[in-house]
Amino acid sequence: MLLVVTYSRRARETLRNACRSHEETVVRRFGRAALLRETEYGAFLACRLRERHAGNVQIERTEPFNEFADAPDTVREAASAYENRESPSTPYDRFAAGTDHPTSDAMREREL
Amino acid sequence: MSSDGADVGETVVSGVPSFTLRLPNGRVEDGPVVDLRGDASEIPTGSQLRRAVRVGCPTRPTSPTVYSVRPGRAHAHVASLGPDTAIRSRAALAAVAVDIGIETPHDDDLVDALRSLRALSPAPIDDAELRAARRRAAVAGAETDRLRERVATVRGRVTALREAAADDVAADDAATAPSPDEALTEAEAALSDLTRQLSEVATERVAAAQRLRLLERRTRSARDQRNARIRLEDRVENCRRRVRAAHIDAVSDAFRDARAELDRWIVGDVVPEADTSELLDALAVARLAPIRAPLLVVGDVADALGGPDAAFDRLGAPLILR
Repeated sequence: MLLVVTYSRRARETLRNACRSHEETVVRRFGRAALLRETEYGAFLACRLRERHAGNVQIERTEPFNEFADAPDTVREAASAYENRESPSTPYDRFAAGTDHPTSDAMREREL
Repeated sequence: MSSDGADVGETVVSGVPSFTLRLPNGRVEDGPVVDLRGDASEIPTGSQLRRAVRVGCPTRPTSPTVYSVRPGRAHAHVASLGPDTAIRSRAALAAVAVDIGIETPHDDDLVDALRSLRALSPAPIDDAELRAARRRAAVAGAETDRLRERVATVRGRVTALREAAADDVAADDAATAPSPDEALTEAEAALSDLTRQLSEVATERVAAAQRLRLLERRTRSARDQRNARIRLEDRVENCRRRVRAAHIDAVSDAFRDARAELDRWIVGDVVPEADTSELLDALAVARLAPIRAPLLVVGDVADALGGPDAAFDRLGAPLILR
């Protein structure tokens, strides 16, 4: 999908209007951002916004995140184990200490 | 209020300034009440008079000129009072409150937000540069893909030719073949040339991607500041709305009273439906506001208020009757 984020009031207003009149192309709307369907028309709307508001419009191409394909097993398993921990107040790093789960710093340093 | 006051052109209601009106034909009238009725041929139109009040002087010799205090904010909402006067009451009341100088609990917030907004100037985003970097990265990417395909094709041909040459050597039948060595040499040269090109554009692709990433990182921090600016702008807007609501609130009782008083005073049929009359709204705003520049009043409206002097008294504003 195309994620369009706006950084000025006028760009936000244009995005709002575009979303209102092209509902079929809008997947989700947030305050000053919107997810557009990945069709040529979605790209057309995104290009128009960028053309009009230049640097005040950010456009990213997003993909669904598949934790089985896009994240290492260790990360997925750490998340799963931590969410199922017995004591809800344990911070992650204390939880991970002494186990095979990666530390939060280690995960911060590694790109996906 | 006596008519003498109007005739000598002095300020007769405390705080209501006088004014001077100069007509294109040279006639000069002094306020606070000027009655232009009964001189139809030389009288400027309503819009000419409105403009004269709004812009002051100098004006063209063919236009009337009004010498007066500069109109306040509320003035614009009630500049012209006639049977078909329309008014946006809330906006007018907010203007009245500003003219009166009413303070609200949100004023400091607004000043503060405006100051912060002025102090914040987000770093510029060089969009042309970003755009050029995106294009360069895209071109380098497409060129790399194209060359990679070409290299694969030519490499396939080289492999095939090498195999064929090996077979030929094995068959010991070199004499009949149309110089396979030559074709192989040519293909190998093409392959090495393409490989060199590919390595060049691949380098360019990496450079272009790095440049784009760098620019995008820079843009991100500029956008953080823009984020902050939008939030401040929204805060200013909210403060303004709150100030406005408080302003309207502060004068709405007085407005209702003024409207009721005027409704009692008005005679005749200029206000057929008192409950919904926008003229009555406008008259009440005029009465409430510290009006300092003259208002244009249609004669019938002034008469309904009891004549020019009574109208002046009841509206507390300098008037031009027409």
